[in-house]
Amino acid sequence: MKIKAEELTRRFRVGSSEIVAVDRVNFEIDEPKFIAIVGRSGSGKSTLLNLIGLNDSPNFGKILIDDADTSLLSSSQRREIRLLRMGFVFQTFNLFPTLNALENVELPMALAGKPRDLQRKKATTLLEVVGLGNRLPHRPKQLSMGEMQRVAVARAMANNPEIIIADEPTGELDSGTAKEIITLLHDINKKDRKLVIMATHDERIIGIADAIYTIQDGRVRLD
Amino acid sequence: MRYTTVIREISVLFNGQVMVVSNGTIVVQAVPIGGGMLPQNLTDSKIRSIMGVERTVPLLFLTSVSIGGAIQPVPGNFSIGIPVDRWSFIIGPTPLRGNAGHFPSNESSNEIVAGASLADEHGWIFGTRIVVNGYQLEIVGILDTRLALLNRCIIMPLKLAQQVYNYPESVNVVTVKPSQGYSQRNLAEMIKVNISYVNALTEDERNDMIQPVLSQIETWNLGLETAIFVLSLILVMTVTTMSVSERRRDFATLDAIGAPLGYVLKLVMVEAALIGVVGGALGLIFGSLGALTLASLYTNIPVAQFFPSIFEVVPPLYMSEMFLAVVAVCCLGGVVPAMSAARTRIAEVLRAEY
Repeated sequence: MKIKAEELTRRFRVGSSEIVAVDRVNFEIDEPKFIAIVGRSGSGKSTLLNLIGLNDSPNFGKILIDDADTSLLSSSQRREIRLLRMGFVFQTFNLFPTLNALENVELPMALAGKPRDLQRKKATTLLEVVGLGNRLPHRPKQLSMGEMQRVAVARAMANNPEIIIADEPTGELDSGTAKEIITLLHDINKKDRKLVIMATHDERIIGIADAIYTIQDGRVRLD
Repeated sequence: MRYTTVIREISVLFNGQVMVVSNGTIVVQAVPIGGGMLPQNLTDSKIRSIMGVERTVPLLFLTSVSIGGAIQPVPGNFSIGIPVDRWSFIIGPTPLRGNAGHFPSNESSNEIVAGASLADEHGWIFGTRIVVNGYQLEIVGILDTRLALLNRCIIMPLKLAQQVYNYPESVNVVTVKPSQGYSQRNLAEMIKVNISYVNALTEDERNDMIQPVLSQIETWNLGLETAIFVLSLILVMTVTTMSVSERRRDFATLDAIGAPLGYVLKLVMVEAALIGVVGGALGLIFGSLGALTLASLYTNIPVAQFFPSIFEVVPPLYMSEMFLAVVAVCCLGGVVPAMSAARTRIAEVLRAEY
């Protein structure tokens, strides 16, 4: 998947003032790299990821996926890209509390209309890959934070996407577990050849990432 | 609308017949209220002399009679005096409870039959002697019927009734069956023209007399139903909106991972419909039991006796209509929250959280 940002700008109005969360950002990624977006809280990391993940729309500029202008896509076309070509990992895991680990991973496949037995087989395999083969019937409440994030990573991989977008996936985790999650995402990037874009504060990413974009006051700089 | 339909159904008692009462008598369906008495023989013979009369039945039909010295207006009771050779006109093929006893004969001077509800209320059984207006009467049969009117009746020979209630040679109702080929309307007109002191009412006219009251009840009904509908809608909408807002993050996540819009809409709508299904079923169960209890309290017929006829009190069609209406209201109440859920975006939720 080739992703290109052209003069990407996102502003928010807070009361009477306007905040520029992402300010004329340009970049192009066309290889399955491990990209880190670093910056302080409120610097615009999540906003940028939401724009890349087609979960938000820019006020100005555009995101091109495989040279196609995403601003011209319909809502359902954007959903389809998110469902089939992208995987999302959130800081707060965002697992569905009423579903168990296996069902959480099956959900994106169910939404994509994949056969029931395939869903079960693949979800089981993915959970085994992330080291949770023995936790399939457990609900999120019964899992540790590290385990929940592993389930979230497995869910992101469910439809075999081309890109994994991870928004501070280690933000809620202790140091050891955070390291495991970073290693897991790094393995996915290297072994499965997936583009991973990860927003983080974690300094351990510096030695691992193929490229680091630093974001400050909405402006992005490649380090 | 159900009970106004029931009120209309009361007219089946004198179905297809003209009801003759004195001028000034108010007739509520089949029940004469107030007004004066009619000289029995004179009125009967005058009516019979009119062309198109097949049969007449003179009746003494009294409401809220005093039993044991106490007048009991609610639940109502009736006393009917009827010529014994015409029992079947009022009670049809109604049997006597346990097949015990018999219907009074013309010669009987103190024999009566009583409705089951009235008998149960007072502890009367076959052979019990009661005092009405100072006359000692013997119950020679208990009517085994589910008809509310007959359940609350004391039926006796006309002559005995005239004696007990002190209306010698008088009646307050004469029912007239038209001969074949004669309409009720024409016959009623003829009776009114020929006998100046009576009013003759056809089945339609008796229905029309109650119509303004029924219309008013139906208007109130409509108002109440509208208010309940709006309140239910607001309640369901509030509950579903709360449920949706508690799971804002889940809906946003569904949107983020690419769930189709219809999936989220369906999810919330199914939940709202489920509230309707469960609420509707519970409402029907408790509502029907409540209706039975009220009907039992009002008519004094024991709930156990009513229970087998629950589908007569609350007919299955009515139950189905109510159930579907509840589910429809819930679905309607779920539309706005479902749209709100489908519009939840992860970017907004994350912005709100951080």
